[in-house]
Formats: sequence, structure tokens, C-alpha cells
Amino acid sequence: MFKFLQFTLTRAVLSLFTLLTVSLIVFSLMEMVPGNCAERYLAFKNTQGSQISIDDIQAEERRLGLDKPFLQRWTGWVANVFVRGDFGDSCILRLDINQLLSDKFWISLGICLAALVVAYAIAIPVGIYSATTRSAVANNSLRLVSYLGLALPNFLLALIIMLISTVLFGDSLTGLFSAQYRDAPWSFDKLLDFLSRAWLPIFILGWSATAFALQTVRALMLDEVGKLYVTAASARGISGSRLLWRYPARHAMGPVINSLGFDLNRIFNELPVVALILTLTEAGALLIESLARSNDQQLAGAIIFLLTASIVAVNFVTDILLALMDPRIRKGLIGS
Amino acid sequence: MSLLNRKSTSEKSRKLKEAYFTASQGQLIRARFRQNRAAMVAAVALTIMVLMGFFAPFLSPYAPNISGRDKSYENGPPQIPKFWDENGFSARPFLYTLERERSIQTNFRWVTTENRDKRRYVEFFVRGWKYSYIDIEWNLPGTLFDVDFQALTTDLHLFGVDEGGIHLFGTDASGKDIYSRTLHAINTSLAVGTLGVLISFVLALFIGGVAGYFGGWIDSVLQMITDAIRTVPPIPLFMALAAFMPDAWSAETRFFFIASILGLIGWPTLARRIRTHLLTERSQEYVLAAELCGASSGHVIRRHLLPSFTSYIIVDLMITFPYVVRSETALSFIGLGLTDPVNSLGSLMQSVSKADVILNYQWYFIPVLFFIAFVLAFVFVGDGLRDAADPYSHSKR
Repeated sequence: MFKFLQFTLTRAVLSLFTLLTVSLIVFSLMEMVPGNCAERYLAFKNTQGSQISIDDIQAEERRLGLDKPFLQRWTGWVANVFVRGDFGDSCILRLDINQLLSDKFWISLGICLAALVVAYAIAIPVGIYSATTRSAVANNSLRLVSYLGLALPNFLLALIIMLISTVLFGDSLTGLFSAQYRDAPWSFDKLLDFLSRAWLPIFILGWSATAFALQTVRALMLDEVGKLYVTAASARGISGSRLLWRYPARHAMGPVINSLGFDLNRIFNELPVVALILTLTEAGALLIESLARSNDQQLAGAIIFLLTASIVAVNFVTDILLALMDPRIRKGLIGS
Repeated sequence: MSLLNRKSTSEKSRKLKEAYFTASQGQLIRARFRQNRAAMVAAVALTIMVLMGFFAPFLSPYAPNISGRDKSYENGPPQIPKFWDENGFSARPFLYTLERERSIQTNFRWVTTENRDKRRYVEFFVRGWKYSYIDIEWNLPGTLFDVDFQALTTDLHLFGVDEGGIHLFGTDASGKDIYSRTLHAINTSLAVGTLGVLISFVLALFIGGVAGYFGGWIDSVLQMITDAIRTVPPIPLFMALAAFMPDAWSAETRFFFIASILGLIGWPTLARRIRTHLLTERSQEYVLAAELCGASSGHVIRRHLLPSFTSYIIVDLMITFPYVVRSETALSFIGLGLTDPVNSLGSLMQSVSKADVILNYQWYFIPVLFFIAFVLAFVFVGDGLRDAADPYSHSKR
């Protein structure tokens, strides 16, 4: 038990270290964008009609602490983020980033996690079936679907679905809330409304993730099915789905759990593009907004950091889960 | 009789066996690849598309930019050459003449009518807009690296018509020929992919090679950094990097920048694979033998370790390629990558998302089909190559 705690702790420290490295990358990126926050803000003020000078910019820089050296600012940022969970103010919007992001980020994360769950809920049974079936038709059509999942980008799928629904139903299925609930506080009705609209982004985000997961599950199962312990089990008289689920599937699940973090990574990839097409109002759309339009480094950095942090968190959880599930790994860690 | 027959078949199989055991690795891979029908079809399709991209200027009747636009045929539907109609058969494909009219009869709006009696014949090997096969024009920041070099300039094109236009895939809102643009877009996507894959390959080879060969603390530190980079979702990171591009940059500079970004972020997966391979290969006897003979580490890496997994690297590059193209497309699609004067598959798709286009001008979707075919072909060929390069793929089945 103590050993297990030790393992958990080491993993946690390693995850923290990864997060630190990521924060350094993100922060340097934000720094490298030409022009700093003060200049940008005052340039914005300039367009509103007030005259500004170099002195004004320097005063603003001092106020924001931009005159301090890079490392000091990074440590300040990291300390704020890690200790207080505070990302500071957005550069352009002059709003507290936490306030701006909180709801939207959780919605995004929820949609992505739901997409991940849907992907595996489809991929695991179908993958196991396709690994064990001998029917060529089923195999080939599954292969085609999974290749299409790779080749047909999610945004094209979204476009096609939108086209069909606009022509057939006259509803473009965009947005996450219908008009009457958009600004309402969270309630049961709003949740239902949200769910009735969220299935489309979840499906689209899950599309290529499903294709990937299907290939992984199928390959892993193919490797396991031929092994001797499966033959031994079937010699003992276990057959059908009972055999599959109890023997090869359990072994194949290890690497699948291991890859969950990277699948989430892949889903996050599609998030901004899908958000743009479906005109969702969540973190992905905010990321595009902050990068493409207003060049708001502070906000963009916060979003990228949060996305990465959730991947690191998932990786941490899956590592622990693996150790709990797989006696071989547990023994390797704790026994020695 | 049957004895003789058996003898000759055994002779044959012996020869086959001999050929199998004396074949080089490359020959074996090629033979295995040829047996994979889907991969062969994909390889043919891919070759055709690559050739189309490479000879894009020759194959396209109009310049893919604003200079090649057809002012009298904006948002025009595809024109498919015909061989026959009610007026008779013609060995040479033809189009009808379009007549535009604006008068009091048409309520002072431009109205285009098709005159089916006036045929316009498609001509082959015609002279058209000028292009150069070697056209290097870099306008990078600073004047030191500016290159402006053209050679093999010609104006020969595969086909065209005398008057009016021939637009196989229709035209877009400003009258640019979508067929010509698609061909040039394939060219651009190939170039971006090649450059991106090359950059990430060199980085991966270096970083993965150092980590795998030296091991120890160097390996641990490099692995930590690689893992950290791998956890960041690439497209948001691309977006953050692409947002650096000042609007003032020329199309070529943007192209270069985007390709480098794609390369700079794509290396970790490949680097990890190279490292793992090197770690296992490093402890083999032949490496020890070379080291005992006094070979330097550079020599061991170059002459002994790299050749041991060239085929894996080639396969990996083939598999990475479509992802680079996809990333570029996604970036250009949201307007952060290549923009209008450069024709890439992504920038062509940008216009597809407008409701107006979806409902009225469906031929804008033709480049999308090319994109899907392109990526599919690459994935199939990559998979086929992977199976072919894996000596155990047959015993697995």
C-alpha cells in the first residue's frame, strides 16, 4: 500500500514537471508575439481617439510588470496559475480570464470527454467483433469507415451534416443553446436543451477519434486472440463472447487505457475548427477569436495551458488506473 | 507422367524458394507490396495526383490567380466537353458558345444563354499564359536571401479553347478557374507536406538519435521534453504560432513559415520511435563489434544503426505525410494558414463553408473530393508499405 502511494506521488510529481515545461513553452510563445500587452492596449485606445505617447506605454508596462526580466515574469505567472488558479487579465478585453473562461472551458471539456466516451463505446465492441469475425464484407466495410475517419476531416463532416439538415429540416443545428436559454442560469431545462444540441459536436469530434480507436482495438485484439492462453481457455470449454471478454479483451484493454490521453489530445485538436463551423460559444471558439482576430496572447496561453493540463490529468489518472488494473504492472512497481 | 509433373513443380518451388531466400530486403518489400491490391490501386492514384500536381501549369488552361480570371463567367458551373448532341457527332470534343446579353428585354441584367448551334472546339497543345518550370522567387525577410530565378519558361498547355473559356470544374466568385486552382493546390499541399515532413524528420533523427544512442541522463532529459511537447495539442499550438505571422508577409514567406511550423511541432512522435529502436539496436553484437574495432560513435550511427531501420523511417514518413497535409488544411481553413493568392487545398475549402456556396454553387466542393482522395491514397499506401516492410506481417495472419 505504501509502495502504491509512493508510485502515485512520483507520477504526480512527474505530471507537475510536465505541466511546468508546458507552461514555459506556452509562456515563451506568448512572449514571442510581436508587441506586448501594454502597446496593444494603448494602440486600441489610440483608435478610440485618445492620444498616447511613449511615456504612456512605459507607464503601462510598469503597471503590468512587463519591465521585469522574463524569468521573473514566468515564475510570477506560474505561481499565480498553480497556487491560486489565476490566469490574470485578458490583454485586449480587459476582463478577468477566469471569469471569461470558467463556464466555457468546462463545457468544452465536457463535450470532448463525451466524444471520447462515445468513441470508445463504439470502438471497443465493434473492434472486438471485427478482430474475431471472418466475414469479409464486415471487415472491409469497417476498414473503409475507419480510413474515411482519417481522411474526412471533422470540419468537412460537420459541413456535410449542416448542409443536409439545412436542406431537409431548415435548422442548421448550430450553437450550443437555443435562444431562450442562452443567458439563463443553469437549470434542468437548460441542461436538457444543451444536451439536445450538444450531440452534434460530440458526434463530429468523436468521428475521427472513433476511427483511430477502432484501429487500435482491432490491432490489439488480433494480437491477443491468437495467443496460447486463449486457446487454453477455449480448450477448457469457454466460448463465445464470454471467452472474448474474459481473456483477450482484458489484456488488450491495457494499451487502450494507456492511449486515452493521446486520444483526448486528438479531440482537442479538432475542437477549434469544429467550433468555428458550428458557431459554438466555448473555449475552442474563444481560442480562435483570441488568436486569429484580436491577437490576445494572455487568453490564448491560458486556453492552451488548460487544454494541456487536462490531458496531463487524464494521463495521470490512466497511469494509476493501469497500475490498479493490471497485476503485472502493479507487481513491477511495488513488488521490486 | 505425374511423376514428371511433380518433379517440375518441385523444381519450380525450389527456384521460388531460392529466389525468396536470396532476395534483398528491398525486393521482398516490393513483392509484398505488390500483393496488396488496395495499396497498389492507391499507389497508382497517388502517382497520378502527384504528377497532376507537378505538371499543374501545363495541365491547367488558366493561371490559378487573379490574372487568369474569366470576368464573363463568375460563379459559373462546370463546363464538360461533349462529343455529341442532337446536331451530330464530333470526334473532337466541343463546348457551346455562351452569349451574354444586357438589354431592355432582360430587364437590364446580365443574362447568359447557351447557343447550341455554335460549337467551340477544344484544342490541344495550345499557347496560353506563361509559366516557368523552375521558378524560384524567395522574398524572405531581409535582402540577403532574396532569389529571383526563372528557367524553362514556356506557354504551352495541354488544352484550351479559342474564344471564351473552358472551365472543367466551374469558376469561383471572382471567375478563377477551379480546375486550375485545384491542380496548383495539390502542388502546394505536396510542397508543404514535403517541407514539413523533412524538417520534422531531421529534428527527429537528431534528437531521437542522440537520446537513443547515448541513453542515460541525456535520454531522460530529452524524453521529458519530448513528452511535454507531445502532450500539447498540436493544432491549438499551430494556431498560436501561426498568429505570429504579420499580415505584411508575402505569400511565399507565409508558405515557408507554415511549413516550418508544421515540421517544428511534428517531430516528437518520430523522435520517440527512433529512440526506442536505437535503444534496442544499440546493445546488439554488431554494434559492439564495430565499437571494438575502434569506430567512432558518428560512424556507428551512420554506417550501422541508420541502415538498420531505413525502411521503418520511410514508412513512418509516408504515414506522417497526410497528417501534415491535414494540419495545413485545417489551419488554412480557419484562415490562419495560407491565404488566397496561394492555392492550397485548405484555402480552397475556406469558401466551401459559406451557406451561399453550400446551397447554390456545389462545384466548389470538387477540391474537397480531391483532398479526400489524396489523403486516402496516402493512408492506404502508407499502410501497405508498413505491412510490406514488416517481415512478420505474413506469419501474423
